Amino acid sequence: MAKQKHPNSSKSNWLFLVVLAFYLVVVVFPFLWIFITSFKSTGEIFGNNPFNIIPENPTLSHYSSVIFDKGIFTAIWNSLVVSGVTTIYIVFVATLAAYAISRFDFFGKNLLLGIVLAVSMFPQMIVIGPIYNLFVDLGWTNSYWITLPYSSITLPMAVWILVTHFNQIPMALEESAKMDGANRFQTLFRIVFPLAAPGVFTTAIIVFITAWNEFVLAITINSDASYHTVPVAISFLRTQFEILWGQVAAATTLVTIPTLLIVLFFQKQIVSGLTSGGVKE
Amino acid sequence: MKKWLSLLFLVSLMAIVVAGCSGDGGGEGGEDTGSDSEETSGDEGSSGEKTVINFAAQNDNTPATQAAIDAFNEQSDEYKVEWTEMTNDSAQMHDQLLTTLSSGSNEYDVISMDVVWAGEFAGAGYIEPLDVMMSEDDINMDDYNAGSMTSGNYQGKQYTLPFFPDVGLLYFRKDIVSEEDTQKLVSGDYTYEDLLAMSEKYASESDAENGIVYQSKQYEGLTVNATEFTNQFDETEKGLQMMQKFTASDAVPEDVLNYTEGETHTAFENGNAVFARNWPYMYGRIMDPEESGATIKADQVSVAPLPNGGAVGGWLLGITSNSENKEGAWEFVKFLSGPEGQKIMSTEGGYLPGYTALLEDEEVLESNDLLNFEGFQAALDSTIARPVSPEYSKASNEIQVAVHKYLSSGDGLDEAVQKVNAAIETEEAE
Amino acid sequence: MKKMGFKGSIFIIPILILIAIFSLWPVLQSFTYTFFDYQLNDRSKAGLYLNDRFNVDLFNESSTYIDLFLERDMDNITEEEDVAKAEDLMARLDELDQEFEGESGVITIDDSVKEDIQAFHEDASTLVSNFNEKYDMQTGQNLPDIVADVDNSLIESNFVGLANYKKAFKDAFIGTATINTLIFTGVSVFLELILGLGMAMIMDKGMRGQGFIRTASLIPWAIPTAVAALMWSYLYDGTAGVVAEIFANIGLIGAPTDLLQTGAGAMTAAILADVWKTTPYMAILLLAGLQTIPKSLYEAGSIDGASKVQQFINITLPLLKPAVLVALLFRTLDAFRVFDLIYVLTGGGPGGSTETLSIYSYKVMFAQTNFGYGSVIVMIMFVIVAIIATIYVKVLGADVMEKN
Repeated sequence: MAKQKHPNSSKSNWLFLVVLAFYLVVVVFPFLWIFITSFKSTGEIFGNNPFNIIPENPTLSHYSSVIFDKGIFTAIWNSLVVSGVTTIYIVFVATLAAYAISRFDFFGKNLLLGIVLAVSMFPQMIVIGPIYNLFVDLGWTNSYWITLPYSSITLPMAVWILVTHFNQIPMALEESAKMDGANRFQTLFRIVFPLAAPGVFTTAIIVFITAWNEFVLAITINSDASYHTVPVAISFLRTQFEILWGQVAAATTLVTIPTLLIVLFFQKQIVSGLTSGGVKE
Repeated sequence: MKKWLSLLFLVSLMAIVVAGCSGDGGGEGGEDTGSDSEETSGDEGSSGEKTVINFAAQNDNTPATQAAIDAFNEQSDEYKVEWTEMTNDSAQMHDQLLTTLSSGSNEYDVISMDVVWAGEFAGAGYIEPLDVMMSEDDINMDDYNAGSMTSGNYQGKQYTLPFFPDVGLLYFRKDIVSEEDTQKLVSGDYTYEDLLAMSEKYASESDAENGIVYQSKQYEGLTVNATEFTNQFDETEKGLQMMQKFTASDAVPEDVLNYTEGETHTAFENGNAVFARNWPYMYGRIMDPEESGATIKADQVSVAPLPNGGAVGGWLLGITSNSENKEGAWEFVKFLSGPEGQKIMSTEGGYLPGYTALLEDEEVLESNDLLNFEGFQAALDSTIARPVSPEYSKASNEIQVAVHKYLSSGDGLDEAVQKVNAAIETEEAE
Repeated sequence: MKKMGFKGSIFIIPILILIAIFSLWPVLQSFTYTFFDYQLNDRSKAGLYLNDRFNVDLFNESSTYIDLFLERDMDNITEEEDVAKAEDLMARLDELDQEFEGESGVITIDDSVKEDIQAFHEDASTLVSNFNEKYDMQTGQNLPDIVADVDNSLIESNFVGLANYKKAFKDAFIGTATINTLIFTGVSVFLELILGLGMAMIMDKGMRGQGFIRTASLIPWAIPTAVAALMWSYLYDGTAGVVAEIFANIGLIGAPTDLLQTGAGAMTAAILADVWKTTPYMAILLLAGLQTIPKSLYEAGSIDGASKVQQFINITLPLLKPAVLVALLFRTLDAFRVFDLIYVLTGGGPGGSTETLSIYSYKVMFAQTNFGYGSVIVMIMFVIVAIIATIYVKVLGADVMEKN
């Protein structure tokens, strides 16, 4: 797209760059400040000069305590497992459902779409009690089965996004695949799924982050420290009367890195997925 | 197409890895908790399997809780306590316990509770009254911290024993406050009026920015401070008026209405306040400047009772009604709240002992500097309690909103008094 | 469009199972709570009881206590006549105890047994208050409470029909909470839509360093909400918060401490934090929509001499409609349920000025353990947000679900 620029637009280019720079500052600054804070001593964080950009006595002690004493890497691993599994099965289930909604005619289709939307209108707190009871009965507390109830926060969104994307893919391609003798699953996963790549990867990234961010179910169902996810582990960085800000800042910095890598991977797919799909179109 | 196939392959590979891990993780988790208590499999052959008692208690930044559990496991042939560490975010812990207990699950045998939850959990029937077991084992109520025992007594039954008590204190800078005033403070024979006058005087005399800091944000701490100002809501109007006088005073920070314990200790530790109302933990921070960043020295600080006495805080131990090992749970509660357990909590973690006799124990006194202050001993003699009620959190919430509204606007005293009294009355009627 | 048939139903069975177990079933349970006076902290209301019941556990417990306490005080009861009365009372209690041997939990009992228990309760409380007047009883303070528990073990039905809903209509807190929630949702979703669209266009632009820009843009969203809320509470702090300090320095607020202490300040702070955190989410949804617009349309547009703005209005916006609908729908539903952020930043304060419906229902359900009434608030939330969603679908969605 940059190549389409008119030669005389250098003025508007400058303006664009200024806006972009301002935008980046606003977006990144809060996180940057937390990054700086993670190197400050406890006394400095809330002390008499809290606004120093360069820490007076830079320290790595917050990092060492979250890594060695608080086991932040265990939490990151748990979060990766839980969010990864959730992403895979939710995208799969949602793809099937969205394809059916988009392509088949069946009784109660709009009702299904409506119910799926309606369940995401209830606050999560009412889901916790019944699910906890169920998990206790099944003996599933403190396990990775927690990925199943994550469906209640991720599935509705996934279905809706995929339905809108599937709807934009012309039927003609599928017809020809059918002529070639492909069954419905083959059509879905060989033809429609790749063509809907931007939507699929957007769904994947949203499901992943939503699962990554989940807090209440994780802390209630998996109370054992060896199953703590990232938000739960960070909520433990406090004493009875204060929050250990230095450690929270260090942990926040550490846990943001893996998510950014994953986001980077997915967002590349969103764009490259389109080009491969576009060619076929 | 190739790309898609390889991606699909990757995805299924991940699924397999993850499935494998989840199996592994389960095993590891089990082993972890086992090895925590340093029980090796070698033992099991001779003594047989010990019954596991699950103890839900907040995470402890000191080694005390773990040490007390280890000591119990060491001396018990029948039981082994496993500790589920909960968050120190007490509202979150409360919700978690509520979800667990209301489901009828027997996940926990012994739970640790904030003093203000005992009434609620007892009223709900989630915890077991202890009187029968106490009288069978000749446990005398008077041996324990009186405030903690009152907090765990609901409808005539005793539901809890102390885990560790806490009490509100007045901290002051003994390098700034005069000898004469010090004596007055330590004796406890002064009023909030006097305290405000002193704060204003020393704030202008010294280079400390503020005279006094305390907790006034809209949260549980505000109910605690209001309880102290109003002398357990006996003098609601007078107490609230006094709080408003403090809020408006130049000797009090402008944003005191956003102060919790955290803001309070930061201000005092950095020499920005002459007086502070806070819990005993702050002294530990001042003693450990490396960890806390405190700039004032321990020898600049002393403590005194608050004018109407300090509110009782801290944590209690109770046995869940659904526990399948009530006898073992009782053994553990008895141990942890008794002389042995409390001594470990006090010497290893600096907690105030809930077993009263330990206040004169030499080892305890030696490891706990605060106990040696005359003003602290006086504070222990003049504690006041928040009401015990299953409706406590509702009443407390109403008090917080009414008081915060009055303090931030400065008018509507009558309305605030009326609302606070109404909240207290419905609570007492329960 | 094909008929689904039996084979096709395999496509929707997984979702039906998941939604039924993990979403619908819990929601239906909450819905039944709304018809009961269901309060966990009161043993006579801690279940859903359509008929009168009897709490055997509480009765047995009280009976043990009456024995225990009366025996402790037997020495204090000096008159022979009274000793006989006390012993008689304990004997009656034993008889009642035997009635329920082997039973536990909450059971149904006959009316005759119920009357016996009521009669016993009456006699016991008269006797205990007589004793208290006459003698200096060691357990004098506690005994009346224990006797009262005998009566408390008789549970009356706590089915209240629509009473909880009626109560909600008179509850002033719900009114303010609804307005706060609508303000929060309206302002934050509007800002997020505008900024998110801008952000999506920036991310869509092919230029040097676009990978960096995209990744940087997504940072806020990658930070867990519970953590981001903590982070902002530090940035907004009255003494050490850098954002509060900057706002005060550029004159947006009078002093750094004003931000969280005034109603308007606290609401603005919460909205800003939410916009910062979730604009990237909006952007990524819209970006996916932008990607599906065929580039050939823009090329055709350029040839026809349409300006960038015209292209945006005539090509981008109409084709982006499905993505906008989905983004708006789910952002609105999320913003309407906002909890973590406000709970950590202000706890609903100052003076209730940032209390949203979620915060209020949380306080009623978890802090006050009143699940009956709390569930009503949740149902009210559902109705309001369902209306908003319907409006979105009607206005934006008419052709979204159609094929192109």
